[in-house]
Amino acid sequence: MSSQEKRPIGYTCAYTPLPLIDAAGFRPYRILPMGDTPDQAGQYLHDNLCPHVKKVLDQVLAGKVPDLAGAVLMNSCDAMRRLADAWRAARPQDNIMLVDLPVTTDEAALKFFAVQLEVLAEQLKLWGGLDFDTADLAASLADFNKLSGTLADLGAAIRSGRQKGSRAALQALYNACTQRSMVESIQNCQLPTAEAVPKNGVPIFLFGNVLPDPEAFELIADCGARIVGDDLCTGYRQFAGLEADSAEESVYLQLARHILTKPPCARTFFPAQPGRVAHDTLAAAQACGAAGVIGHTVKFCDPYLARMPIFREEFKKAGMPLLLLEGDCTLRSMGQQRTRIEAFIEMLR
Amino acid sequence: MMKQYFDDLVSGIEGAIAADPENASPRKIYTLEVARIGQRLYGGEERVAWCGITVPFDLLAAMGVTSCFVEFVGAMLASTGMVDAFLEEAEQVGFGGDTCAYHRSVLGAARKGFMPEPDFLIAATCPCSGGVAVMELLARHFEKDLFVLNVPQEMTDANVQYLADQIRDMVAFVEDHTGQPLDPATLAAAVARTNTAREKLVEVYRLASQVPSPVNGKALNNFGVVAALLLGTDAAVTVAEAFRRDFENKVAAGEAGIADEKLRLLWIQNRIQFKNPIVKMMEEEYGAAVVIDELNDITWGPIDPDEPYRGMAARAMSIPFNGANTRRVSHLQDLARRYRIDGAINPCHWGCRQGTGSRGIVGQGLKEIGVPVLNLEVDCVDPRNFAEGQLRTRIEAFTEMLTERPSPWG
Repeated sequence: MSSQEKRPIGYTCAYTPLPLIDAAGFRPYRILPMGDTPDQAGQYLHDNLCPHVKKVLDQVLAGKVPDLAGAVLMNSCDAMRRLADAWRAARPQDNIMLVDLPVTTDEAALKFFAVQLEVLAEQLKLWGGLDFDTADLAASLADFNKLSGTLADLGAAIRSGRQKGSRAALQALYNACTQRSMVESIQNCQLPTAEAVPKNGVPIFLFGNVLPDPEAFELIADCGARIVGDDLCTGYRQFAGLEADSAEESVYLQLARHILTKPPCARTFFPAQPGRVAHDTLAAAQACGAAGVIGHTVKFCDPYLARMPIFREEFKKAGMPLLLLEGDCTLRSMGQQRTRIEAFIEMLR
Repeated sequence: MMKQYFDDLVSGIEGAIAADPENASPRKIYTLEVARIGQRLYGGEERVAWCGITVPFDLLAAMGVTSCFVEFVGAMLASTGMVDAFLEEAEQVGFGGDTCAYHRSVLGAARKGFMPEPDFLIAATCPCSGGVAVMELLARHFEKDLFVLNVPQEMTDANVQYLADQIRDMVAFVEDHTGQPLDPATLAAAVARTNTAREKLVEVYRLASQVPSPVNGKALNNFGVVAALLLGTDAAVTVAEAFRRDFENKVAAGEAGIADEKLRLLWIQNRIQFKNPIVKMMEEEYGAAVVIDELNDITWGPIDPDEPYRGMAARAMSIPFNGANTRRVSHLQDLARRYRIDGAINPCHWGCRQGTGSRGIVGQGLKEIGVPVLNLEVDCVDPRNFAEGQLRTRIEAFTEMLTERPSPWG
């Protein structure tokens, strides 16, 4: 079936089990917080809530998403819980499931999450999905890994200059892959013909949460930066590949393990290593030779905002320049940051 | 400094009670017990655990650990007028101004040495993401071990068991840190005290719902959430019994908590913690009494002594802020009916995505049963932007509107 034939399942979070949705015969469709929509979410959600979830709800209410067979939301943070509440209140006829997601990655948490994925599998069948089995899910996992590998290779090739194209073009490809069927994404996983981006920008590592608009990356590049690595929930993180299969584990446990142990959002943490997210981000930036780091988070994102003191401390200790930006999922807010980005890049030259 | 504060508070209240034991108000007895917790936290002699709100405090008490949720410190700093400097400290190190000021002030307090160093920390994912994050920050700051309870959203048998198993693991974690195994007899006694206190609290809240209510705006201020710290101890039973007896006497005598009760109000989520004139103004100028706070309720069943961890797990999952918002709205509607509420006040604590995030849905849910809601938009801990005049005007308009309309309950 092509993308047009497969009914879409809406999702909003990088922790969503895309192979499971694919195995059920649906097309995972990420509702990206892009474009202008009338502000209707405000009647359900408080002003101090994440603009990502408010824009998602605005798009749903404005009819800007395709006819969804259902929506799979992850219990990744307070904002996602509130999105589930508001969506249910606004459109009680829609199929919505909020999947519980532990914040830790211990074995008990993985097993619990695996059970939640099995519950989701049954729910997808009730929403009209295929009566798939674990072999089908394993096949979808393999497809996902293939897509993941191709996207990783493309990203690496662009960063090294071997591939013509830019981080903005790669972002456009990521976005397309979040809304196509898995098979179609694999078939069309290529960048449009473009000039190679000259390697004369200041090497920058970018981290944060929601930054899906390719123009945002162009803006950063226009400021004199060359993005040599990134860790964003709308970037490669959502496609990070599976670990090798373990014959001793159920496929659901494998999927749970993969999702909870892949490069994490700040909401997932390791109690034995408090602040590890900042340490890992710093290590990633250093590994790709970044001269500085830009952190971009949407406003009111507690998992990131609350941990910013740790990021600041770790980066300062390591002598890694850090610029922190807050946005509201609009290019307008990025535009307002242009002067700060330019000054930061200038400082690094 | 904090130890001295709590020492003075304890000795002052003990002196007042000793001078007139027959007239000791239940609020005074409650404040004394809370101050004693503060004394132990800051005394430097007991094992201390900083925790999240839904951690089983009775279990920790049975293990000889003085434990407290960290938001308590934020509320205390606000109520004593000291919070500004701690908020500024946290903001200077990058803790965003749009985050919850309970958590911001706690981080500032830790950095300025105003929080005693714990032996370990225990976080819980309910009620909020910000609460978990600040526990991670504190564990890093104090360089102490952190245990995390993942609280499932839905109350199913399997989910209760998952949390119960984590609580069992938590016991092992605490034993590792204290070097003392949990004594089953001590746990059984703590559970019995929790259940006795629970039974009395159910009666306290039933009496509070009478018309007129024996409650005034101060009597049960912050009570439900803070009283959880006393569970498992004799103090919980003492405090619950003091309120029960006082309310029973008042109800029997037809004595209202405020003179000439005209309006009965529901306070949603937490109170404004710093000194402010709102509740007193509503009582004195409009005869409007806050007779119930959202968290002043028993949402959990007795703890089965044979399966205490399951009971504690179900208790943690039962709070109105856990799970889908429809649970919370149903609970608020239930409170409104039980207490014959004329109107509700939602402070909409800035920075709270959990409690305040669904302002619109909460307002709609209460409107459906004829109860209007006033959304204040105030930071309950940070007084720096408190606009008393504006709030006063809005509350006056709200209470006047309520006075003019018939009670939703006939």
